[in-house]
Amino acid sequence: MKPERLTLIASSLVAALSAIGAEEAISFNEDIRPILSDRCFKCHGPDSENQKSDLRLDTREHATADLGDGFFGIVPGNLEESDVHWRIWDDVEEDRMPPADSNLSLSDEEKKLLDRWMEEGAEYDTHWSFKPLPGRIDVPDSNTGWTRNEIDRFVEAKFVENELEPAPESPKEKWLRRVSFDLTGLPPSIEEIEDFLSDGSSDAYKRVVDRLLNSSAYAERMTSEWLDVARYSDSFGYQRDDARFVWPWRDWVIGAFEQNMPYDAFVSLQLAGDLLPNATQEEILPTAFNRLHAHKKEGGIVLEEYRVEYVADRTQTFSSAFLGLTMDCARCHDHKYDPLPTKDYYELSSFFANIDESGLISFFTDAVPTPAMPYSNPETDAILASAEEKIEEIGSRLRSLEAGLADSEAFHNWLSDRPDMLWSDLVADVSFDELVDGTFENAALKDTPAKMLEANKVVPGVSGNGVQLTGDDHMYVPEVGHFAREDPFSFAIWIRPDAIIERENILSRSGGADDSASMGYELLLLDGKVTFSLTHFWPGNSMRVQTMDPVKAREWTHIVVTYDGSSDANGAQIFLDGVKQDLEIVRNGLTREIDNYRSGKKDIWRKHIVIGQRYRDRGFKNGQVDEFRMFSREISDAEAIQLFDGRYLADLLRKDKIELSAVERSQLLEYYLSKVNPEANVLRTDLRAARGKWNDTMDALPEITVMRELPEPRPAYVLQRGVYDSHGEEVFADTPGVLPPFPDALPRNRLGLAKWLTDPDHPLTARVAVNRYWQLVFGEGLVRTPEDFGSQGSPPTHPQLLDWLARDFVDSGWDLHCLLKRMVLSATYRQSTQTDPSKRQRDPENRWLARSAPDRLAAEMIRDNALAVSGLLVDKVGGEPVKPYDLADSFKPMEPDEGDGLYRRSLYTFWKRNAPAPAMVAFDASTRDVCSLKRETTASPLQPLVTLNGPQFVEASRVLSGKLLDKHEGEIEAVIEEAFLLLTSRHPDSRETQILKNLYGDQLDEFSSKPDDAEKYLATGNAPLVVSRSLGEHAAATVVVNAVMNLNESLIQR
Amino acid sequence: MNENLCTGYDDSSFVSRRKFLNTFAMGLGGIALADLMNPLTASASSDLSIGTHFAPKAKRVIYLFQSGAPSQHDLFDHKPRLNAEHGEELPDSVRDGQRLTGMSTNQSSFPLAGSPFSFKQHGDSGATISELMPHVAEIADELCFIKSMYTEAINHGPAVTMMQTGSQFPGRPTIGAWLSHGLGSMNENLPSFVVLTTKDKGGQPLGARYWGSGFLPNRHSGVRLRPDKDAVLYLNNPNGLSRSSRRSTIEHLEELHAYQLSKQSDPVLENQIQQYEMAFRLQASVPGVTDLSGEPESTYKLYGEDARTPGTYAANCLLARRLAEKGVRFIQLYHKGWDGHANLPGQIKGSTRETDQASAALIKDLKSRGMLDDTLVIWGGEFGRTNYCQGKMTPDNFGRDHHPRCFTKWMAGGGVRPGYTHGVTDEYGYSIVQDPVHVHDFHATMLHLLGIDHERLTHKYQGRYFRLTDVHGHVVKDVLA
Repeated sequence: MKPERLTLIASSLVAALSAIGAEEAISFNEDIRPILSDRCFKCHGPDSENQKSDLRLDTREHATADLGDGFFGIVPGNLEESDVHWRIWDDVEEDRMPPADSNLSLSDEEKKLLDRWMEEGAEYDTHWSFKPLPGRIDVPDSNTGWTRNEIDRFVEAKFVENELEPAPESPKEKWLRRVSFDLTGLPPSIEEIEDFLSDGSSDAYKRVVDRLLNSSAYAERMTSEWLDVARYSDSFGYQRDDARFVWPWRDWVIGAFEQNMPYDAFVSLQLAGDLLPNATQEEILPTAFNRLHAHKKEGGIVLEEYRVEYVADRTQTFSSAFLGLTMDCARCHDHKYDPLPTKDYYELSSFFANIDESGLISFFTDAVPTPAMPYSNPETDAILASAEEKIEEIGSRLRSLEAGLADSEAFHNWLSDRPDMLWSDLVADVSFDELVDGTFENAALKDTPAKMLEANKVVPGVSGNGVQLTGDDHMYVPEVGHFAREDPFSFAIWIRPDAIIERENILSRSGGADDSASMGYELLLLDGKVTFSLTHFWPGNSMRVQTMDPVKAREWTHIVVTYDGSSDANGAQIFLDGVKQDLEIVRNGLTREIDNYRSGKKDIWRKHIVIGQRYRDRGFKNGQVDEFRMFSREISDAEAIQLFDGRYLADLLRKDKIELSAVERSQLLEYYLSKVNPEANVLRTDLRAARGKWNDTMDALPEITVMRELPEPRPAYVLQRGVYDSHGEEVFADTPGVLPPFPDALPRNRLGLAKWLTDPDHPLTARVAVNRYWQLVFGEGLVRTPEDFGSQGSPPTHPQLLDWLARDFVDSGWDLHCLLKRMVLSATYRQSTQTDPSKRQRDPENRWLARSAPDRLAAEMIRDNALAVSGLLVDKVGGEPVKPYDLADSFKPMEPDEGDGLYRRSLYTFWKRNAPAPAMVAFDASTRDVCSLKRETTASPLQPLVTLNGPQFVEASRVLSGKLLDKHEGEIEAVIEEAFLLLTSRHPDSRETQILKNLYGDQLDEFSSKPDDAEKYLATGNAPLVVSRSLGEHAAATVVVNAVMNLNESLIQR
Repeated sequence: MNENLCTGYDDSSFVSRRKFLNTFAMGLGGIALADLMNPLTASASSDLSIGTHFAPKAKRVIYLFQSGAPSQHDLFDHKPRLNAEHGEELPDSVRDGQRLTGMSTNQSSFPLAGSPFSFKQHGDSGATISELMPHVAEIADELCFIKSMYTEAINHGPAVTMMQTGSQFPGRPTIGAWLSHGLGSMNENLPSFVVLTTKDKGGQPLGARYWGSGFLPNRHSGVRLRPDKDAVLYLNNPNGLSRSSRRSTIEHLEELHAYQLSKQSDPVLENQIQQYEMAFRLQASVPGVTDLSGEPESTYKLYGEDARTPGTYAANCLLARRLAEKGVRFIQLYHKGWDGHANLPGQIKGSTRETDQASAALIKDLKSRGMLDDTLVIWGGEFGRTNYCQGKMTPDNFGRDHHPRCFTKWMAGGGVRPGYTHGVTDEYGYSIVQDPVHVHDFHATMLHLLGIDHERLTHKYQGRYFRLTDVHGHVVKDVLA
């Protein structure tokens, strides 16, 4: 330490020490960590890469370490020796910490606090949220008579500390209104209000809560909140943002809340339902949660970059939603504030990487990105099962026929009298010998010749001429190869690659590469290995086989591919130069169509066999081809050899029966079976039909994106600076080091992760969940940063209460009903929102809960309220998303529904990320781009425009006023009275009624003088106009009802 | 337009309402729309505004975003060598391992494509501008070209997101939202961040995210003015409901709220009264700006006949000037259709025809009104285009793929150096050889012109202080006047 500082600082030190009240104990977590974290950790924190000096302040061990030359950051109990003390007080600006260029500074109070803390021994403490959830939390005593349950006793203890008094009880009808919206998102009906007001029994409140919790509306309300967490959207997001089919997941969530599924099960099924033994559709469906992120549909992207992004999104969602941690910070560097090294991030994220997905979804086909699950039903399951039975039965008949055929009379007779070699089922036969007007003859289909772009060249081939391709210009054989996956087929071609490179497309019947999901079939050279694939969506729904060895550059190789129509990789064979190859099965998961061209919807969807080039694929550059043939059946081995050498089968057929070797005899048997035997031909036709039935049934089922674990985990690496292709150290699935260790007994997959997460003592899971539900009920969480329980987040206002609730939640069996009941039946919740200004001044943010928060209703509730009170609300649970009026005014205007779709609860509104429902967005709905745990409530002048002018609200006002006018026979006071009660849950007083009557009078004058205007105004909305009074009266009453709808008490929780 | 909706500011009604309010002695009103939309006076404590850090040169920005990425080779960055070697293969030494998009990465051949358009030098500054932009050429001496812009993104979605938010991935605030957060609003009756998109243009899709507020509060999002009846959502009264009828509704609502307030003070209630007053005023102030009927004939001579059709780029440029006059801080135009993968010559002729005259007119108009000095105008897209042909090259046609390694943007007014060209690309127009300007540098410079130190315009989110420039960015001093 510099001696001159001693005197310099001495006076301020004395002042500092004397200024601090010695009576209050310093809490590291509450008093010190927030300062260190916010002002010091950026350079002296856990990020090992970003240390500006050797001093680290995030652990006591580091902070008190010898820094050399006699320097110590902190010497506990000794300020004189603690450099931290000197540096924060330094008068010389360049030496003072934090440095000026950090734009950070410490107040004198903060410096004094740090000094006192160092003086007192610089005790550190584990960050509060990383400590295990205590087994037992003592509830404070109370004898005031205000408290109703444990919650209140914790809250009351803080009143005492902060010298606050609770607000008076809300009027009963206001409590009812608040609890109805908080638990169901809907207002109470007049009947419900009257029932409750007249129920003087001791359990009247509880009975209301029970009624609400057991309604479908409750499940819808809870779901609505969960949709933000899960970043639910009915569109894929990013730039294209096309629609997708995921709503069955939303309905599963509704069902889970309807049955009050324990929270641990609710979470576990969404994380890992697919990994349960023999998982059913109902167990796999919840895992769509991890696929609700945005998917890229923009040709030209680098696939790996976006695959990595999807994994990152899952990791971020998991961290925010369940752990309350901002793990995303650790993606590029060690977390600067929390003990979360980059390595921990990639270990955690590797749990979410093990699915067979692509970074790009299909632009040109409607294939659902894999992994996907057909969304089936019992009837369809039965049809599939019966088709499978049929396939099995025919297959077994074919096998027994085959077994008996060798010794059959029919085969012997045929052997004795073999006809000459004759090709059958030949659908393409192009020799490339003679180019006429850019075409080559297809000898099998003479009126549709093969065509060639002129940049390719005719060159000497294997026999006669062949073609040398540029790689950018294709050649195609039109109207050939329209095979579905139940169709057996075969083809042969000579190839001569110019060089062996990573990838070359030889031929395909497919719209293109990645952004067509490669749907169709293709023959590729991958590092020279001959590769044949049938693909619905690459890679997750496809079959692919590959030869073990590469072909040679600048040499001719003859390729025959045969396929049996089974959709099974074992049903494909590749022959090279007449020799059947051992094949590696690269993928064997084809379950859906490969022949999308039948839909005829896109020009790009090529209906032809295209040779030498494919859209957005790498072509066969400078490669040569010759002698292309294609067959509409699975040809036999002998035929494959014949195609190579032009004589093998022909010779065999002419060979004397006696001279046939055992091998030759069996080849002839196979040939006979595959082509000649009539019984086998019939069975194969039946088999094809049975497979076709299964396939068509499957193809008709919609698919939904879900999780399905790869057989082996995908290798995972630290990505340096977060860059997708910058692989660092290899990592293996693990949970962050600062949290409890991952038990050895658990599988290192998402199922194990779910078990780890839902351990009863987990420090975060229950606290984070309880806090979110506290926020849902009380407007703000006990931790006001629900997504950040780390050291930069807000510490809990009531730490013991949070722990008590969390422990109680776990002990109750993660029972959400029980948790919510405690909250809404507390005296804390029963407080009025009204309070006197001095109290508000003392606690402007309402941290100590001495009143209820006047929260504006969520966007969904504002609209649902209008629908409910007007009776327009269509009370149907679940189903396809709907398009109410405002979607016509979204950034991508959509045609609104007609009928019921206009009047469903807002959680069913079709959610398009790039053009979200504008009336919802105006009221701060989340755009659902990423996981969001809290909506920011804003007040903008754009909001009144929605509730005053939006057709949904004008229509609701019109319908309600019409009903009330009719009911009360035009008696306006009664109309006002009832509308007011419906919309605010209380009766207006005489002054309020009078003001609204005045409004009615004004409007009646206006509309009476302009009856045409009344008619126009009443034409808003699709609901039929029922007029029992004059148009003028109806229009004026509509304005009045709409005004009441815009009252503070209609829009704000009171 | 709703016949009942007057387009001027309806003073008389306001006086009576003020009187009415005064009878309750509430001291309400007088609070501008800006206060609700503007964090400077809003109560959200987590959202401390920054203000300027030094005297700004520019008070407002008009950003003419050319979406889809215009070809710098055919507009500003003239490369005779491409014409000399037209059709020849791009030398590997020039490409140097640059990653390509999935659209041309599998191409076997990369033939160089010279521009078919002629170039001339213009003005005293001698700026090189192609024949496609005759009007912009007239204002060459007002412009500051940056020919050495670069980005990492290679596809539209990520690149536009990068250009507008400083990150390739969704979730961050756009420039206009940052400015609203940092500087608030300068006008009482209009939002501080307004977005205008050209109507009925095909091309790479835009999304509300491109003017979103990311993790900043939603009130900082851009408000898109649409070229239809309702410039903002439900701006107009429902059919048949007159302005006087609405005024009466608002007054009675206020009376009800004031009655409640008389029983107990309540900031939430006060807030709502203001909110409804402002909505009522917004209904008049927006049409007051969007209604072009008062513009003289000379305006259409300047901007072109297109400007008579709402929703065209020309009409939007004119509207941008009107919004700037009213004190809107950040006016963001989007014009799609520059994505010339194929048929580039034809496509770029169309795009320049739609944008050239109006872009130049805007500069001239601002200048003649004395507003150019403190209005920063920016023209440019999300990246550049390749010097080689994508797809098949024919004698009179070719395409260009995306090229992030260099592209051109220009700026004018607002404290930038006029008649200056910054940065140099190699003779193939493939790489930058002098003074590279990254997107982050561009952002840092823009903020500098607005009086903001880009390192100090921050927002704490999820425990971290975020910036438009992330952890990067240097002010490009050379382009400052």
